[in-house]
Amino acid sequence: MRSRIQLAAVTILTLTATVACGGSGTSPSSGEAATARGPINIWYSNNAQEVAWGKQMVEAWNSAHPTESVSAQEIPAGQTSEAVISASITAGNAPCLIYNTSPAAVPNFQAQGGLVSLGDFPDGASYIGTRTGGTAEQYKSPDGTFYQLPWKSNPVMIFYNKAVFTKAGISTTDPPLSSYEDFLATAKKLVSSGAAKYAIYPSPSSQFFQPWFDFYPMYAAESGGKQLVENKKATFDSDAGKAVAGFWQQLYAQNLAGKEAYTGDSFADGTAAMASVGPWAIAAYKGKVDWGVASVPTRAGGSGDQAATFSDAKNVAMYTACKNRGTAWDFLKFSTSAEQDGKLLEMTGQMPLRQNLEQQYAAYFTANPQYKTFAAKTAHVVEVPNVPASVEMWQAFRDAWSKSVIFGKEAPDKALSEAAAKINGLVK
Amino acid sequence: MARTWRRTTVLVIGALAFLFPFYYMIVGSLQQRSDTSVGGALPHPGNLSLHNYSQINAAISLGQTLLNSIVFTAGVVLGTVVFGVLAGYALAQLHYRGRGTLFAAMLLLQVIPFQLLIIPLYVQIVRGYGLADSYLGMILPFAINSTAVFVFRQYFLQVPADLFDAARIDGASELRILRSVALPLVRPALLTATLMTFIGPWNEFLWPFLVTKQHDKQPLAVALANYISTTAASATNPYGAILAGAVVLAAPAVALFIAFQRHFVSTDLGSGVKG
Amino acid sequence: MTRRRAAAGTFGRQPVGLLLSAPYAVFIVAVFAYPLGLAVWMSFHTYIFTAPGVSVPRPFVGFDNYTAVLSDPAVRQAFLNILIFLVLNVPLTVVLSLALATALNAAIPFRTFFRVSYYVPYVTASVAVVGVWLFLFGSGGLVNHALGAAAPSPSWLINEGWAMPSIAIYVTWKQLGFFILLYLAALQNVPKELYEAAAVDGASKWRSFLAVTVPGVRPATTLVTLLAIITGANLFTEPYLLTNGGGPNGRSASPVLLMYQRGVEQGHPDVAAAIGVLLVVGVLLIAGLQRILDRD
Repeated sequence: MRSRIQLAAVTILTLTATVACGGSGTSPSSGEAATARGPINIWYSNNAQEVAWGKQMVEAWNSAHPTESVSAQEIPAGQTSEAVISASITAGNAPCLIYNTSPAAVPNFQAQGGLVSLGDFPDGASYIGTRTGGTAEQYKSPDGTFYQLPWKSNPVMIFYNKAVFTKAGISTTDPPLSSYEDFLATAKKLVSSGAAKYAIYPSPSSQFFQPWFDFYPMYAAESGGKQLVENKKATFDSDAGKAVAGFWQQLYAQNLAGKEAYTGDSFADGTAAMASVGPWAIAAYKGKVDWGVASVPTRAGGSGDQAATFSDAKNVAMYTACKNRGTAWDFLKFSTSAEQDGKLLEMTGQMPLRQNLEQQYAAYFTANPQYKTFAAKTAHVVEVPNVPASVEMWQAFRDAWSKSVIFGKEAPDKALSEAAAKINGLVK
Repeated sequence: MARTWRRTTVLVIGALAFLFPFYYMIVGSLQQRSDTSVGGALPHPGNLSLHNYSQINAAISLGQTLLNSIVFTAGVVLGTVVFGVLAGYALAQLHYRGRGTLFAAMLLLQVIPFQLLIIPLYVQIVRGYGLADSYLGMILPFAINSTAVFVFRQYFLQVPADLFDAARIDGASELRILRSVALPLVRPALLTATLMTFIGPWNEFLWPFLVTKQHDKQPLAVALANYISTTAASATNPYGAILAGAVVLAAPAVALFIAFQRHFVSTDLGSGVKG
Repeated sequence: MTRRRAAAGTFGRQPVGLLLSAPYAVFIVAVFAYPLGLAVWMSFHTYIFTAPGVSVPRPFVGFDNYTAVLSDPAVRQAFLNILIFLVLNVPLTVVLSLALATALNAAIPFRTFFRVSYYVPYVTASVAVVGVWLFLFGSGGLVNHALGAAAPSPSWLINEGWAMPSIAIYVTWKQLGFFILLYLAALQNVPKELYEAAAVDGASKWRSFLAVTVPGVRPATTLVTLLAIITGANLFTEPYLLTNGGGPNGRSASPVLLMYQRGVEQGHPDVAAAIGVLLVVGVLLIAGLQRILDRD
């Protein structure tokens, strides 16, 4: 018995010692790495269209720069990708650039010491400012520097199913969707006429990013472009936030929006008459749904094209495991140049976060008018706040939302106040 | 007679309850347009096609991913069947120093959720052992399935000790006893554990996905998951595509079971000790 | 022979056991020692994962993580949920799988078909099967249609009281095939003579089941119970797929789900490790309790 205890004690001590010593290996120091050149590795999303864009972009670079070749791999977009990136930061084998970095994950990656400050490069901040304009400010980290390059956005708008609307006897050229009152009335009509089972069906899941597709776009519109948190204080415990929550609570209480898990795409299946998505959905719904698009509603209605919405942006970040950062920065500039941004637009339909988008690619938008509405919106997008504990903050919000708005267990006003208090504690 | 009929009826009802979801999956995977109504449970000749399957075939390289799955799974099954059986037997029938500790460790390993270990495990395997993007890196955490070891131990325990004593008196070595006496008697348990060990890595998504980004090393589960998360959204019948993928993944496991289940017959254990 | 007996003191009666279990022991140490040690260490410190070479303060905080976790109502609810799950799932699993295995052991027609049909859910990915269950148990699903007015409102999966039990039934159904197999294997080793003797004594089928079968598969029952407890405690995907993660008011959240949220998504592996350690301790306690009761 005593020997067994001794054995256990020795094992625990050895394990603790191994752990306490920590891992070995270091990241390249920023000074020398910023100018180093050579082959680099990148990751991008495995969405078929983005892969096609990525491949042609890498080929174009590689043929012009044989000594600084770029090798690319795909990682799926979605929540698992954050786990993968976090793990590879910890293991020290992250690639130089990841064309799939979620702005909400940037604070965590930064805290892990995984991101390279783009301010290390002499033209870092100026390049970003020139390309993206004023919207770029939202992407700065609390210390005022850029740890991500704002790349592309998918402004969230309301898609509606023209066939279902016709069946319910609602106009498809100018559907009454701009004010909460109108939207609710339309929703009721859609469901009671039997044209669709639900008016709109955002995922009721409790994952931290779900508010980005139900609450946040409408909050951005109603509050005139406010982020969830500004100056280290929650902003949503306000008239605007409460109005949005009250509106959604009506939708759920009257069973106009679904509360259960749904497998598949409810809009594509015709189960829901509307969906709140971005332009990536155009390719997904082609041939399946005859759709129209409208801005997200506001309480009073009428702001239309000028109303803000959520950006659903995906950005590019440079990771500290990168040795040849000089090449990486040049490649990053190449892949976000006017030419490549244009190709991105053509091949994927997603909006590069570039100022004067409509004017720059006027030919494309003339040929593809259905994307024009989205292009106009890119000037009015609101991003998730770049604050520490950002994921925790969104989770706290979602839990309060779920409890009060979706399941009606608590008054939304009270739930929002409690969430705001909690979040203020998290982001200070 | 009445009792047999009653039992058969219960079994049939049960079998239908168990099979219905799988049947629905197959019907759903064959649907060209998604039909989520109650009527959709019955196959409509006009709505049936192998389209979802051909889309999968076009999107992922079935041959390469199948090969990767086989290598990954075979590595795990081999490690478990060889070393796990040895350990299970030792834990059950042999008395040696450290047996208790090992048993406790085996139990502990099963109780610990994988999500708790995943990032340090990744660092260990990728940085500590440098096994990123390799089959060995994929196999290593699963190499010897602790649940299988537990199963082996329990079934070796069921073998009466007298049999072993008889063999020992006859002068046989422990290894010989294991091979000639113990193993044949626990064959159904071995098969169960092998089947169970097969399912784990065959369906495993997160670990291979973490360890390798190279397309040519990704197993079928990962390729299907990737396909589902991206291409499926633009497929004609996204949910049907998911179902088709699941059917493709499940088919080999079911086939294996059908092949092996005939070994689940009595071994007439009692007669070994008589006389 | 004599040499072996002489060594009995130092290494046990059959030291070859050390040799046979050595590969497994080495495997455990080489692969899991560091992650396990780190997990326990993290739970007593403030810890985040960092890139190599980046050093952040990782102060020792004693039991702070544990108190934070235990005073969090969401975590307490999650542990309660798992308890509800286990209470439903484990006995149901043991009873059903033994009953079905006994039935499937007999020489019935189409035995292979039956065996395969019970096994199939076990090998199919939850991602696909769950859609079917949603079709059955959704608010507009088959079951509610059949029940009519007797259907619970709100419907099963969004009902605070029914969410976890629904998941328990789903998981029982899905895993049953595996446990049936375990019992099938054990049944092969119950000597036929015992059944014959019981029949000669005039025992009914039910009596011989109780007197011969149940005791005869004792080690398998222990195995099935323990494995059901362990896999149940580690529940993760099913709540996600069936009830959108936490379910109505967190009523179907599982501890592992919370670990994933806090550890991986929110970047707080220290808190996640504390939940993990608590979960492990809880399971070991339950398992230990079961062993003690079993011995009586």
